[in-house]
Amino acid sequence: MIHVQHLTKTYEDLQRGRFVAVDGISFTVKKGEIFGLLGPNGAGKTTVLRMLSTVLEPTDGIATVAGYDVVRDSAEVRRHIGFVSNNTAIYDRMTAWEMVEYFGRLHGMRSGSLKTRLEALFDQLRMNDFRDVPGSKMSTGMKQKVSIARAMIHDPPVLVFDEATLGLDVLVARNLLSVIRSLREAGKCLIFSTHIMSEVERLCDRIAIMYRGKILDSGSLEELRERHREDDFEELFFGLLSQHEQELRESRRESHLPDDHELVGEPVA
Amino acid sequence: MSDSSKAIRRQAAAAGKPRLGAIWLIYFREMRDQLRDRRTLFTIAVLPIMLYPLVGMLLLQIAQFTRQNPTSVCIVGVENIEGAPPLFDGETFAPELIEQPESLELLTYRWDELSGDQSIHDKGNEWVKTGAFDLVVLIPPEFKDNELPSDLIGTSSGEDAKQKQPNIELLFNVGSDQSVVARQRVAGVLGAWRGEWIKERLSGVGIDPEVLLPFQWSDRDIAPERTREAAFWSKLLPFIMLVWAMTGAFYPAIDLVAGEKERGTLETLLCSPALRSEIVWGKLGAVATFSMLTALLNAGSMLLTSSLVFQHIDVGGASNMLGAPPLVPMLWLFVALLPLSCLFSALALAVAAMARSSKEGQYYLMPLMMVTLPLVMLPMLPGTTLNIGTSLIPVTGMFLLVRALVEGQYSTAMIYVPMVLTVTGTCLWLAARWARRQFEDEAVLFGGGDQWELGMWVKHLWRDRQTAATPAQAYACGAIILVTLFFARLTISEMPQDFTGIVKLVVMPQVLILFPALIMATMFTTSIRQSLRIRIPHWTTLPLAILFGITLHPTYVMLSKLINHLYPISEQAAVAMKPFAEQIASAPWIGVVLLMALLPAVCEELAFRGFVFGGLVREKGKLRAVVLTAVMFGISHGVLQQSIAASMMGIVLGWITLRTGSILPCILIHFTNNALSVSLERIATSDWQGASIFLTQTELGPSYQPFWSLISLGIAVTCLLYFGTVSPETDESESELIGSHHDYVDPTTSLASA
Repeated sequence: MIHVQHLTKTYEDLQRGRFVAVDGISFTVKKGEIFGLLGPNGAGKTTVLRMLSTVLEPTDGIATVAGYDVVRDSAEVRRHIGFVSNNTAIYDRMTAWEMVEYFGRLHGMRSGSLKTRLEALFDQLRMNDFRDVPGSKMSTGMKQKVSIARAMIHDPPVLVFDEATLGLDVLVARNLLSVIRSLREAGKCLIFSTHIMSEVERLCDRIAIMYRGKILDSGSLEELRERHREDDFEELFFGLLSQHEQELRESRRESHLPDDHELVGEPVA
Repeated sequence: MSDSSKAIRRQAAAAGKPRLGAIWLIYFREMRDQLRDRRTLFTIAVLPIMLYPLVGMLLLQIAQFTRQNPTSVCIVGVENIEGAPPLFDGETFAPELIEQPESLELLTYRWDELSGDQSIHDKGNEWVKTGAFDLVVLIPPEFKDNELPSDLIGTSSGEDAKQKQPNIELLFNVGSDQSVVARQRVAGVLGAWRGEWIKERLSGVGIDPEVLLPFQWSDRDIAPERTREAAFWSKLLPFIMLVWAMTGAFYPAIDLVAGEKERGTLETLLCSPALRSEIVWGKLGAVATFSMLTALLNAGSMLLTSSLVFQHIDVGGASNMLGAPPLVPMLWLFVALLPLSCLFSALALAVAAMARSSKEGQYYLMPLMMVTLPLVMLPMLPGTTLNIGTSLIPVTGMFLLVRALVEGQYSTAMIYVPMVLTVTGTCLWLAARWARRQFEDEAVLFGGGDQWELGMWVKHLWRDRQTAATPAQAYACGAIILVTLFFARLTISEMPQDFTGIVKLVVMPQVLILFPALIMATMFTTSIRQSLRIRIPHWTTLPLAILFGITLHPTYVMLSKLINHLYPISEQAAVAMKPFAEQIASAPWIGVVLLMALLPAVCEELAFRGFVFGGLVREKGKLRAVVLTAVMFGISHGVLQQSIAASMMGIVLGWITLRTGSILPCILIHFTNNALSVSLERIATSDWQGASIFLTQTELGPSYQPFWSLISLGIAVTCLLYFGTVSPETDESESELIGSHHDYVDPTTSLASA
């Protein structure tokens, strides 16, 4: 459902000059699969997901979602994707019902089918208690539910969760993860970014470890464990990161480049 | 990203036409959202409804207050008036000398009452200064000697008689309005009084004063009551409406763009199937609606209140002017409100898009207000009327047009309708396009989280130097040149009288034009030669450039003549220019050509077609770069007539430099053109026989033969066509189109990958 080939995004930045946020990454996510994008803050996860949801335009490379190119058929991609961001992004002056309904109508759903879909979603996510609560009065958990309902209203085949558990308490986070699991059962293609390793271990079918805009390694949990001969996933993660740091430092020494861009990403010399 | 995928993207965007349904959906949501916001409701609805009645009440209070506080006048030395017609009637001035005598409160003193240790003048000064009196009138004791001289004809000692004429002094303070008004009114009284006195004296010696008056005049205001009131309201009301239309657009614009960015909802909206254009149109509609609502509610509330208030008060003599507003002509205002509200809304939306938070948005909108407010203020200035010039100024033209319509001058208004509509339409289109561009630019929507710091910025300029200027640097360079030229011109007070003076006068602006470009090319780019676009073009273009310069000149001369005919040079300017032309004519020819042709050709081309164009051409739209450079080039000439001609020339030169990729042909064309302009006179008067084939002598100086003008135009067009076939393969900064500012850091790398 999602194919990403050599995807690259560079930014102009006052402090660092040209900054490569995503550096030629490639991966594939199949139907009925949860793909985890794991990496520390600033690794470029959000940029990847924003490019998949056509909000940002890739500098280079190709990405297709549900068979549509994110650049050429951006409108079609948006019709087939649901995006849940880390800041729950709720309109303060709209009730839960209005908010979800609004996005349903933006997707061009007819009133009749929209209403049945809304009822079903509100039941499924147990949101009927705060149907008419305006966004400004909602708790974080409520907001997250509305956000998910908003992303699912048009029943998209692809769902993107960008650090969706950020700032949620354990109860709500567990609830969210179970929702995601049920979506997998329903045969959706899910991509899930996080920096919390336990979530990845419990949830994801396949994982890509991202650091400084690059995918250091990817595969299923078992594959990764086998390849790096490390059972503890946290150790594996840090091992990969420090190995990459080491390589970077060596390559810099070889080319006599000044080491002034530590920890901020890849400068293009 | 590569060019091909960009083109594909553009195609896709063109295919995805905005759907009305989606726009309406977004519009409806934004409207509902804003109507649920207490702050917005307060500003657009509650404030105007409450504000004007409150102001009206205050006005009523003040009106009463001013009536209780008439202007106070102190008159010293009343006893010195002898044998004169009556100046006073009891406590006030005589009613035949002044209308509403009770509005001046008089206090009279005798001269000797006040003469103490302080002189009467000092006392008077003191009173006026402290505001004890608005006006002090001093009638000195000499006034008593004010008798009719025995020698009426004034044959002998006429000067003595003049010197002896007594003098009444009025002490007032120009810093106080009330004092100025008092002086005016008392001066009027004294004038009328003197008239009475003259009449009395004349009849005393047996002359009928009426006989002496050669004529009489009488004022009659033929404007019907309605127009007079309309004149007042047609000035004030559009101003109020436009200011409110601006305010009404700002707050929703901030909330709908910057506020949404802050809350993160904009990102979710962008992920939805709604196209960016649909989002922009929906939001624009909502903002414009609020802008109009605010303006209408304010204007309506003000009209209603004022018509009620003015029925009740009668403010001094102003009551004639401040009638209740006529309602029907005011409907024209609403016609103008629609486009202007949309214009303000689009501008506010585009500017607000740059802000990352509501708070930041408010900072950005202040400069926008500062830019648009003068356009609204300009028509308020006395003497600003609807004409070709003013009708072409955005906002101002519309304002003046509406004023003409409100005042019932339909025939005048109709003449300017096309111009005003074109200008307003263009502005509207540009503003809407800008707003749309902002929403398509991810740097605007997501970028710029970091702090701006001067040191860092300079470092960035240095570190990220490119082979040629960035568009931003090009704009900056153009602006610097124009601003320094403006101030430099202000310092020139008079025309030089000798040739060295002229040299200075010509060299200074050229240095100011070249200097910023050279400095910026040295500091901010890696290659001075590339950034100034000094490249060797195809060899054929060089001789062709000279031919083109020669053959284009007759057309250029005709063009200048046409412009001078349309916008004649003022007599004053022509007189001021005369010594200049004479000096040029008498100076050595080589010197003149070097000074007037070579120097400007090199300096101006290096700066405009070199640095500025080199930067602008890297942005979207090469034609835009040509036109913008030409406009800057034109403005740099300072004189309107020259500016227009130079702008047109600039377009031709810009196109040639675009095609050839070099400024050398442009320098040659520019040089040939200028050299011919300064040498035409000499060629015509030279011994060369061939001159008469091309030139004729007219009373206005030499001019081209019509047949040659025609032929040369044909040759010039052919040359131009040839320039069109030249491909700019030497110019990589042009073949590489730099779309967004993420990409223009290092064009060479993206070129390599393409």
